Amino acid sequence: MGISRRNFFKILSVAGAATATARTPARAWESQAPSEAYGCIVDLTRCIGCRKCEQACNEVNKLPPPDRSFEDLTVLDRKRRPDEKTFTVVNRYYSGRIDERDQLIPTFVKLQCMHCQDPACASACIVGALSKQENGAVNYDVSKCIGCRYCMVACPFEIPAYEYHDPITPRVMKCTFCYERVANEGKLPGCAEICPVEAITFGRRDTLLKVARDRIKENPGRYVDHIYGEHEAGGTSWMYLSAQPFEKLGFVTLPDHPMPRLAETIQHSLYSYLWSPIVLFGMLSGIMWAFRGKGERQEDHEGGNL
Amino acid sequence: MIPKVPAWNRLRRRLTLTNLNSAVPLGLVFMALTVGMGIQLPARAMAAAAPPEAETAKAPEAAAWSAPDQVDAQKRAQEVVPFVAEVRDECKLCRQQRLRDEGLGVKDQSHSYLLLDSPIIKRTEDRYGPVRFMHSKHATITQDCALCHHFRPADESASETVRCSACHQDAFRQDHPERIGLKAAYHQQCIACHEEMAKGPVGCIGCHQKNAPDHKDLVQLPANPEPSQVTSECLRCHESAGKDMLSSAHWLWKGPSPFTLDHRKAVHHGKATTAVNNF
Ligand code: SF4
Ligand code: SF4
Ligand code: SF4
Repeated sequence: MGISRRNFFKILSVAGAATATARTPARAWESQAPSEAYGCIVDLTRCIGCRKCEQACNEVNKLPPPDRSFEDLTVLDRKRRPDEKTFTVVNRYYSGRIDERDQLIPTFVKLQCMHCQDPACASACIVGALSKQENGAVNYDVSKCIGCRYCMVACPFEIPAYEYHDPITPRVMKCTFCYERVANEGKLPGCAEICPVEAITFGRRDTLLKVARDRIKENPGRYVDHIYGEHEAGGTSWMYLSAQPFEKLGFVTLPDHPMPRLAETIQHSLYSYLWSPIVLFGMLSGIMWAFRGKGERQEDHEGGNL
Repeated sequence: MIPKVPAWNRLRRRLTLTNLNSAVPLGLVFMALTVGMGIQLPARAMAAAAPPEAETAKAPEAAAWSAPDQVDAQKRAQEVVPFVAEVRDECKLCRQQRLRDEGLGVKDQSHSYLLLDSPIIKRTEDRYGPVRFMHSKHATITQDCALCHHFRPADESASETVRCSACHQDAFRQDHPERIGLKAAYHQQCIACHEEMAKGPVGCIGCHQKNAPDHKDLVQLPANPEPSQVTSECLRCHESAGKDMLSSAHWLWKGPSPFTLDHRKAVHHGKATTAVNNF
């Protein structure tokens, strides 16, 4: 029985928490969520799976041309994930609902970075290359990034991708919320602007929540009574409305509290006394010594899972 | 002075000769050939001898045709009407009933079709051409104005049915976040109804012509290109279209060609075998 990297972190945090609670009370964790964040509501009952958002995203972010044309809808036949060349992908799900002509009704799900209110990726980043901006975007600064890829491990939605193919200047790649376009040029995110049916509604997060609640209230038969992203992982800037339960559409079920809370509380308590790091690193080396040689092999498997 | 004149004359004669010798008679010979041989060679011959004529003969014809009221429609499409902030909400059935009571119906429509070409949409994108929407045809089939014109201005004196763009303009308005933009209003309305009725297009090019970029600057060909050069120039960008062609019946056809002189019973005829323009 080897120990995976994730388990290794778990053991570490449990050990850390034990030290923390034994010695000092944890300092209260505070949300850093901006009050005037923008966001988007993706209404899955509207999306027609046309992939125009993928196309627009590719164009406005100057991403490399796709392997298959954006007009080719057969790519929907298999599930995809956003990667270093694609910030957003649309997947098709069949939830089993059929129309009057006995045809399965598809549901299309657009995936991209959720731009969490309290992003786990940013809190995991030890050099502050990822940061939540006032306008809601979780922004990546390539000049600070040291390539440790902790953000990829930390993200509960498994969004950040890494340019493994580029040995010289690899970057972490994820949806930018079109930060430049929105903040500096006063434009809309590329995907929200192009969507022919306004499946993506752009606006202030608080306004959007109201709009979303109204949509559910006015059309209770059309939606499940749940705004995915309102509370998930402490709330996200991108939110979803759906006709089917979200679990059926590939959405992960997440706790309502922000992901960084646990990690940051532990970190802060540990470092509040100078001796804590010494104990921590002592313990660390102990664990590493015990499992030396096994971790490396496991890490490859971890990479494959992401 | 003296030697200059003959030189000039010679040059002029040569110019006329080249013109006469090459272009016109060659074209004629090819034409004669093709007619004589029963259109077996036309693609190659036309491409080699007279590509400009072949192109110009087709292009203006398609561009020149337009519906009789196209100009009017274009003008109407460019108008942006004032934004209706307050709308009157009434149930579809009540509204339908009221319209009927007031004697308003399909016959009151003045236009047979509308050109959906609003500058509101074009501000943010212009990838597809406008839709020519047969308004009265849709009204006659559905017999129900309230199906699409669901709201009306709250102002009683305002016109009963207003165009979509009176309420639906820009997307994501701060003052009316619940109101979808014009582009979405059209697409949601058209696509949803077409799906429900299993009638009418639901994809992009069923209604729109794609705004292809002007190929004048994209195409790089020498002055008198060989047909095979033309093909490879197309393939430079449209690689997959070329691959698709290779698996199409048009390319794979082998067998008699009953409408082509001399090939009526030639069972081995086809692009894959004896046809000349198989590059
Ligand atoms: S552009 Fe809009 S409708 Fe089309 S796939 Fe994207 S979200 Fe769905
Ligand atoms: S979805 Fe992942 S990458 Fe995006 S902000 Fe949240 S934690 Fe970061
Ligand atoms: S917000 Fe911008 S970067 Fe993100 S998916 Fe949309 S177009 Fe792409």
